[in-house]
Amino acid sequence: MNTHISRRSLFGGLTGVALAGALAGCSKGGSSDGTVGKNQQKGAMDNYAADTQFKATEPLTITMLYSDHPNYPYKSDWLLWSEITKRSNVTLKPTTVPMSDYAQKRSLLVSAGNAPEIIAKTYPGQESAYVASGAVLAVSDYVDQMPNFSKFRDQYKLQPELETLKQSDGKYYLLPGMHEKLWPDYTLIFRTDLLEANGIPEPQTWDDVYTALKKLNDKAPGTYAMSDRYKGQCLLNLVATAYGTTAGSWGNQEYTQYVKGDDTFVLAATSDEYKSMVEYLSKLVSEKLLDPQSFTQLDDPAVAAFTTGKTVAICGNSQDPSAHRALMDKAIGKGKYKIAKIIQPAGPAGKVVGGTRLENGLMLSAKAKDSDNFGALLQFVDWLWYEGKAKEFTKWGVEGVTFKREGDKRVLEPSVGYQWMNPDAPKKLNADFGFSGGNFSYGGTVDLVHSMFDPEEQSWQQRMATERTQVPLPPAHPLTDSQREQATLLLTPLKDLVDQNTLKFITGQRPLSDWDAFQSELKGAGADKYMQIINTAYTTYKSKNK
Amino acid sequence: MKESASYKVFRVANVAFLLVVVFLTLFPFVTIVAQSFSSQVAITAGKVSVFPVGFNITTYKAVAGDPMFWRNYGNTVLYTVVATAISMVLTTMYAYVLSKHHLKGRRLLIGVAVFTMFFNGGLIPNYVLVNSLGLTNTMWAVVLPNAISVFNLLVMKSFFEGMPVELEEAAAIDGLNQFQTFIRVILPLSKAVIATMILFYAVANWNSWFQAFLYLDRSDLFPVTIYLRNLIAGTTGVQDVGASVDNQAQIAANIKAVTMVLTVLPILGVYPFVQKYFGSGVMLGSVKG
Repeated sequence: MNTHISRRSLFGGLTGVALAGALAGCSKGGSSDGTVGKNQQKGAMDNYAADTQFKATEPLTITMLYSDHPNYPYKSDWLLWSEITKRSNVTLKPTTVPMSDYAQKRSLLVSAGNAPEIIAKTYPGQESAYVASGAVLAVSDYVDQMPNFSKFRDQYKLQPELETLKQSDGKYYLLPGMHEKLWPDYTLIFRTDLLEANGIPEPQTWDDVYTALKKLNDKAPGTYAMSDRYKGQCLLNLVATAYGTTAGSWGNQEYTQYVKGDDTFVLAATSDEYKSMVEYLSKLVSEKLLDPQSFTQLDDPAVAAFTTGKTVAICGNSQDPSAHRALMDKAIGKGKYKIAKIIQPAGPAGKVVGGTRLENGLMLSAKAKDSDNFGALLQFVDWLWYEGKAKEFTKWGVEGVTFKREGDKRVLEPSVGYQWMNPDAPKKLNADFGFSGGNFSYGGTVDLVHSMFDPEEQSWQQRMATERTQVPLPPAHPLTDSQREQATLLLTPLKDLVDQNTLKFITGQRPLSDWDAFQSELKGAGADKYMQIINTAYTTYKSKNK
Repeated sequence: MKESASYKVFRVANVAFLLVVVFLTLFPFVTIVAQSFSSQVAITAGKVSVFPVGFNITTYKAVAGDPMFWRNYGNTVLYTVVATAISMVLTTMYAYVLSKHHLKGRRLLIGVAVFTMFFNGGLIPNYVLVNSLGLTNTMWAVVLPNAISVFNLLVMKSFFEGMPVELEEAAAIDGLNQFQTFIRVILPLSKAVIATMILFYAVANWNSWFQAFLYLDRSDLFPVTIYLRNLIAGTTGVQDVGASVDNQAQIAANIKAVTMVLTVLPILGVYPFVQKYFGSGVMLGSVKG
């Protein structure tokens, strides 16, 4: 028995967070009509506009909740902090929270009414928990006073994506990071040397993947050609997208699929697309091309199998090839193998790539709108997180100190290293200067986002951008609180049923001839009722926002 | 007495059985220690069992090379010592008072303590309270709340209840007042239970991180548990990293083993010395005939 808050009261406490926040957060607040009062312009610039440098007319201090990453732990003497103050006359005062438990502390501080003005590092969807409490600001009311945000949104047509952030009151509460173009990351990493040796071209479709695995498997029968990591969720997500549906915990959290022809949502697992996806994956397993353990094992054995040459393909992201190579140089030998990310395979849904162009972003505390420097706060946030030069600054640092320009390219100064650039440099761009850290640097133009990729990743991104098109996002259908509560109650058992049976069908524990029986099990578990809630929310939202 | 044949068989079987138990208990820990000194290649290949394979201390170096690690380690020692001291003073005194059956309002005092075992204000009210007392970002936020563990309190209470009344009567005749009796007579006779309680409190304080996480906002105040927790999160996260890929893979492979060894080490050092009190301490007071 220990003296401290037990785990049970911890979880009890956290589920109570939203409720307590609802009680505690009902503060009066100033105007909520999106105007900033005349007496709230302390430090604000009169002529602030897009692409201008923000500089507060008097020194200001702004508080910020900061997620502290152990690989570049917070230092108060970073060039980042002093340069922000130098450029903008604003001193940022961070409350540092270990990244490991950032979300918990954020809940606590927001609910206790102690949140700093800027609440950084919040992913789309995470803000929903705080909406009812009124403790975070409905930022959509104020974005017209954020010229850089608005410019980026309009220039790259991000409004449809922002729609998905809207809550049932038609407002959104998160200022997300925004990308000019979709930034796909995960795909299959293949042993390209084996593909070449056997005269197999780079797989372009999932059928090609099947053929490639089959050919390579025939060379060494008895083992699985592929044993995947991420509990199979990465693979499910990729295949589902190519088959025009969604699946798994990396896909759509609502487990729904939008059917354009009928203008309705259906449960993904009831669609024909879902069935064909399951059929495809079960074929891989039954022909011993894909290890059924891919869906249950930890990452380590899968990585070990791939890096020791036992398998020929694995899911991964842009950082994985170099990590794998470090292992394979030891296990297989330098020069005796080649690996590369292949382009995301296409499927019946076409040459598509799934995902959203929104990134993690920030919330503003509702208390901020009562402060006398609210106007300046909006300008500051708009500048530091959305203005082009400021974004370059938080990513690359200060020109002449951390980086320089060579033609239209940016390169790090020789004494500064980051990721693949100057790996042996004495100082690190993130750990020693504070730049390229997760609290400030995300999203932006293609030029900026791609500027730090290694050449290999750059060409992969280039191909993805030109050879694949983004799957349109499903239309917005925000749930009200009571709808969300009902939907969650119904979805929890449905999720289990879908997940378990999807795996059973894929791994062959349940024959595909049972598919119809599975469909009636879904009905029995309340699939129709659940979809009715989603579709009601959708039609309500449509009629309100005509 | 000559041992019978069947007794000999029993003895052999017994020793063999207990050796298996010892092995089962020790093996996981020995594996962890071995992993913490092994190379990443050997770990991912699953070659490490009892002895380190491909001796490697990159992770130890990475952890120990960070001044913040030592600072946080120092904090943990400080918090553990102070919190345990506070807890012991409060618990022994409270328990002694509760052990006196003639005390008026005794039932109420017990009720107050036991009530908190089942109900508490909850996370946010606690946070608001600690914050409004001005304790956040000080050591006191970690060492004061929950200083009394009701479970420990009740164990101690029943221990004190087991003390013969005659002892105190004798002390009173010799002219000691209540407080002197407690300090000079009762406490010296309670070493076993005190040692046990110190161990309970110290281990709990040593391992705790949640309160510190809630009430402290500055990394230089954190105990080492939070530091290591964040380190693990960093190596398992998908975010970009500053360290070279090679080191990173090594650190990711055995960071958990290294942190376990590092945190368990001091407790392991203290345990053998307190352990002799341990068995008798928990049992004492539970049965008295």
